[in-house]
Amino acid sequence: MPSTYVWNPGQFRIDPARPLYEQFVEQIRAMIAKGTLAPGTRLPSVRETAASLRVNPTTVMKAYQELERLDLLVSFRGQGTFVTEDEEAIRRSRKELAITAVRQMEELAASIGLTLKQLIELSEEKE
Amino acid sequence: MPIANASAPAIQCDGLGVKIKKKTVLDNVGFTVESGSLAGLLGPNGAGKSTLMRILCGLLQPDLGTARVFGQPPGVETLGRMAFLPDRGKLPSWLTAREWLRFAEKLYPDWDMPRVPELTAALGVEPSARIGAMSRGEEARLQLLTCLARKAPLLILDEPFAGVDLLSRERIASAVIGEQADGNRTFLIATHDIREMESLFDRVVLIGGGTVRGVYDAEELRAEGRSIESCYRDVFA
Repeated sequence: MPSTYVWNPGQFRIDPARPLYEQFVEQIRAMIAKGTLAPGTRLPSVRETAASLRVNPTTVMKAYQELERLDLLVSFRGQGTFVTEDEEAIRRSRKELAITAVRQMEELAASIGLTLKQLIELSEEKE
Repeated sequence: MPIANASAPAIQCDGLGVKIKKKTVLDNVGFTVESGSLAGLLGPNGAGKSTLMRILCGLLQPDLGTARVFGQPPGVETLGRMAFLPDRGKLPSWLTAREWLRFAEKLYPDWDMPRVPELTAALGVEPSARIGAMSRGEEARLQLLTCLARKAPLLILDEPFAGVDLLSRERIASAVIGEQADGNRTFLIATHDIREMESLFDRVVLIGGGTVRGVYDAEELRAEGRSIESCYRDVFA
């Protein structure tokens, strides 16, 4: 069995005014997209994760369930929870993250009266 | 011995009222803590938190209203199903941690001796240390160990983090979470360390001036864009 990943509380930046489980989903999803959590990595149990990050276990359980629903985590009874080895699921997740990021950038550009393309061109314009 | 109702909430208070020397300490206090919850009891000094905990332990009879622990009135029977960590509690200073734990084993019928080594390691308690020579943080960890080494399904902790160093607070919080995650343990924790501990709780009861000022589901509050700390400020500031 592969060794288990160890969370470091400093890995997560938590805003106490947003649902915690959402933030864990986002940040673990980003770690998978980036490869910090490689395919096949065994994650700590809900209990270990909650105790080491000092958050309510229900929060961690909900985050793991949501990541399983997104096909990014898989759990096997009696063995634990793993990062998926399904590269297609990871690619899909990265694409969704990219679409969301671009949409946010477009909104930001629109707020100053530009398209995203214009925003990038303006930022790269030589003085 | 009556069988406790398995589906009853761990704690249920209705209309609790207490007057001490003509001063109203609790007024119409009502709230419920479901079994398996990790609930915070938050409020300023003098809010009535310790009085409420004394009622739940059966140490004080309310003048009005009812308190129920697993569906039963607080008393000898409910005490067997709960562990209480009192604020400013003192362990015998002349004993070592090991001697105290051996004593506690004889004191509590539900003492879980096989778990003691694991809990001792998790909480970083040094068995040979004399209690009188311990720092506040070390003694707080030993007190929590004494509560967790029992099989009691309900744990009521009065200010377990107060005056305790950062690393001890973290160890205490991690141990509490580990115990709650394992299954059927319910915690009610009175604390002032809201900012640091707010991600621990699934539910918070805000109490001030002897009355319940609000009961909130932690994630529902956050879904409205509020932290427990900001909610506390809104209620009490």
